[in-house]
Amino acid sequence: MDSQIRSLHNKLVSKQISCTNLVKEKLALLKPNTHNTVNSLLDETAINLAKKVDEKIANGEPIGLLEGIPFGIKDVYMVEGTYTTASSTLLKNYKSAYTATAIKKLLDAGAIPLVKENCDSFGHGSSSENTIFGAVKNAKNPELVGGGSSGGSAVNVAKNFTVFSIGGDTGGSVRQPAGYNSIYGLKPTYGRISRYGLMAYASSTDCVGPIAKSIEDIRIVLNVMSGKDVKDQTTYASSKIEQNAILNAENIKTVGYFKNFVDSKAIDENIKKDFLSTIENIKAKGIEVKALDFFEADTLVSTYYTLAMAETASNLSRLDGTNYGNRIDADNLKESYSITRSENLSEETKRRIVGGNQVLSQGFSDEIYLKGLALRDQISQNFENDFNEVDIIISPVTPMAPPKIGDSLKDPLAMYLSDAYTVGFSLGQLPTLTVPNGTETGLQITAAKNNDELVLKFANFLKDIL
Amino acid sequence: MSKIMTVDVLSSIKDAKPSEAVSKLFDVIKNAHATNNTINTNKTNAVSINSLRDDVVIESSETEKQIIKDNFPKQKKGYLVVSKVIEE
Repeated sequence: MDSQIRSLHNKLVSKQISCTNLVKEKLALLKPNTHNTVNSLLDETAINLAKKVDEKIANGEPIGLLEGIPFGIKDVYMVEGTYTTASSTLLKNYKSAYTATAIKKLLDAGAIPLVKENCDSFGHGSSSENTIFGAVKNAKNPELVGGGSSGGSAVNVAKNFTVFSIGGDTGGSVRQPAGYNSIYGLKPTYGRISRYGLMAYASSTDCVGPIAKSIEDIRIVLNVMSGKDVKDQTTYASSKIEQNAILNAENIKTVGYFKNFVDSKAIDENIKKDFLSTIENIKAKGIEVKALDFFEADTLVSTYYTLAMAETASNLSRLDGTNYGNRIDADNLKESYSITRSENLSEETKRRIVGGNQVLSQGFSDEIYLKGLALRDQISQNFENDFNEVDIIISPVTPMAPPKIGDSLKDPLAMYLSDAYTVGFSLGQLPTLTVPNGTETGLQITAAKNNDELVLKFANFLKDIL
Repeated sequence: MSKIMTVDVLSSIKDAKPSEAVSKLFDVIKNAHATNNTINTNKTNAVSINSLRDDVVIESSETEKQIIKDNFPKQKKGYLVVSKVIEE
C-alpha cells in the first residue's frame, strides 16, 4: 500500500477533503468501539485542532506533511490532560500532567490525536486480554486476539480507524500485534526515540514504535519522533532517513536466518513452509542466504522475562496509591500500600512484580539476575558477530497463528514462550520491523544497531518480490 | 538486613505468592551456561558527563500543578490527605 499520509496530505492541500470531515469520519469509526480498541476518545481536542488546520488551508497557508493527519496513542503515553490508564484499575482515573516527548513531536508537527488505545495492562501481555477495557479483537477475525501488548493500536491501523498509531515495544509488543493484523510495526534501535513520558515497563528494552500500513508512513513518523532528548539520557542523535535512501537494496548482499527458529518443534507447519519459501525467493534474487546459530528459544524467553520482571518490579513500585491512583485506605501506611496494589493490579501484573522481586532478592540475585545479565551480554555479542557475516537477519514474527480470545490467559508459560522470536532482538536493542508478508503473521527484518535505514530498505525490497 | 522478607512483603501485595510458570523460567536460567567474564560489562550504556542535563529546577506550568493535585486520591478542607503512618 502507498503512503496514506501523503495521499491524505495531498487531498487536504487540494481541498478535496476537509480536515474536520476527515477527523469526524475517523471518530465515527472509533466511537462504536467494535474491536475494544478504545480506552478514551479525544474527540473535542481533535475537532478543534482539525478546524485550525482547515482555517490555515482556507487562508492559503502551507501545511506540513503530518499536519491534520489523525493518529492513535497506546494508553501508556502521557498526553497532558488526557486519561492515561495503562488499561489498569489502579490508574483508571489518572490524568497525565505532561506530554511524552515522542507524542509532543508529533503534535508539534500538526498530527491530530484521536484516541488512547487499549493494550495489556502496563504492557504485561501478548494478547491485549490483560485489560479492564475488554479483550481487543483481531482485525481479520474478531474471534481471535488482537495481539499485544499494543493490540488496540495495531487493530485501529488495520481497520483504518487511525492513519497510524504509536505503540510501545518492550519484548515484541509492536511487532507481534502488527504481525497478527497484517500491517507494519517498527521497534527502532533502543534510544533512537525518547522514552520520556512512556510509562516504564522494562526500561532497558522499552521502545516507542510506529504502526502503519506502509513503509513510507513508518519512515515519516519515525523521522519526526527520533532524536536526542535530555529527558531520556539513553537517547542518541540520529540522521533523518531520506525517502530515496530506502528505495534501492542493491547494497544488501547477504541475509541470515536462525535455523533453530525454523527447526523448532513449536513452529506451525504453514508458517515454517512459508518462511522457507520466502528464503528461496530471496535466494532467487541473487542474495546469499546464511543459516545462523542462535540461542534456544527457552533461554531467550527466560532471559528476557527474568530481566523484564526485575525492571518492572522496580518501575511499578511507585504505584502505591499515595500521590495518585485508586488508593484503598487501611489501618496503616503499609497495609494501605499492600491492599491498594493487591486490589488494583491484574493477576498478570502481580505475577511479574512478584517474579521481579524474587529475582532481585538476596540469594536469588547472583543465581538468576546476574546470570540473566551475563546471558544478555552473550546474546548481544552473538548479534555483533552475526552482523559481521550478514547485512540483514529475517525471522518469523511468531511461531503460531493468533490464538482465540480466552486461550492465552489460561496458560501464562505458553504465553511467555509465544514471544520466542521477538524477545531476542529486544535484548540486543536492535532495529526490527514487522512486515505483513512472507508468513501468516508476517516477517521480522533486523539489522545491526542504529541501522534502521537498512531495515526499511530491505522491507521495500521484500514488498516487491513477495 | 537479616530479617527474612517474604515476596508479599517485598512486593507490597497482600497474599502474593511465587508463580509456578515464572519459577520454570528461572529454572532455565539456573541451568543455562553463561560465561562469567561478561558480567557487569556495562560499556555502552553509560552517559557521558558532557551529556548530562543541567542541574536546575524547572518550574511546572499551572496546568501541570493543577492536574497533579487533581490526581491526588484524597483531599479534605483544601489539604491533601495521606494514609496513616504507624512507626514500628
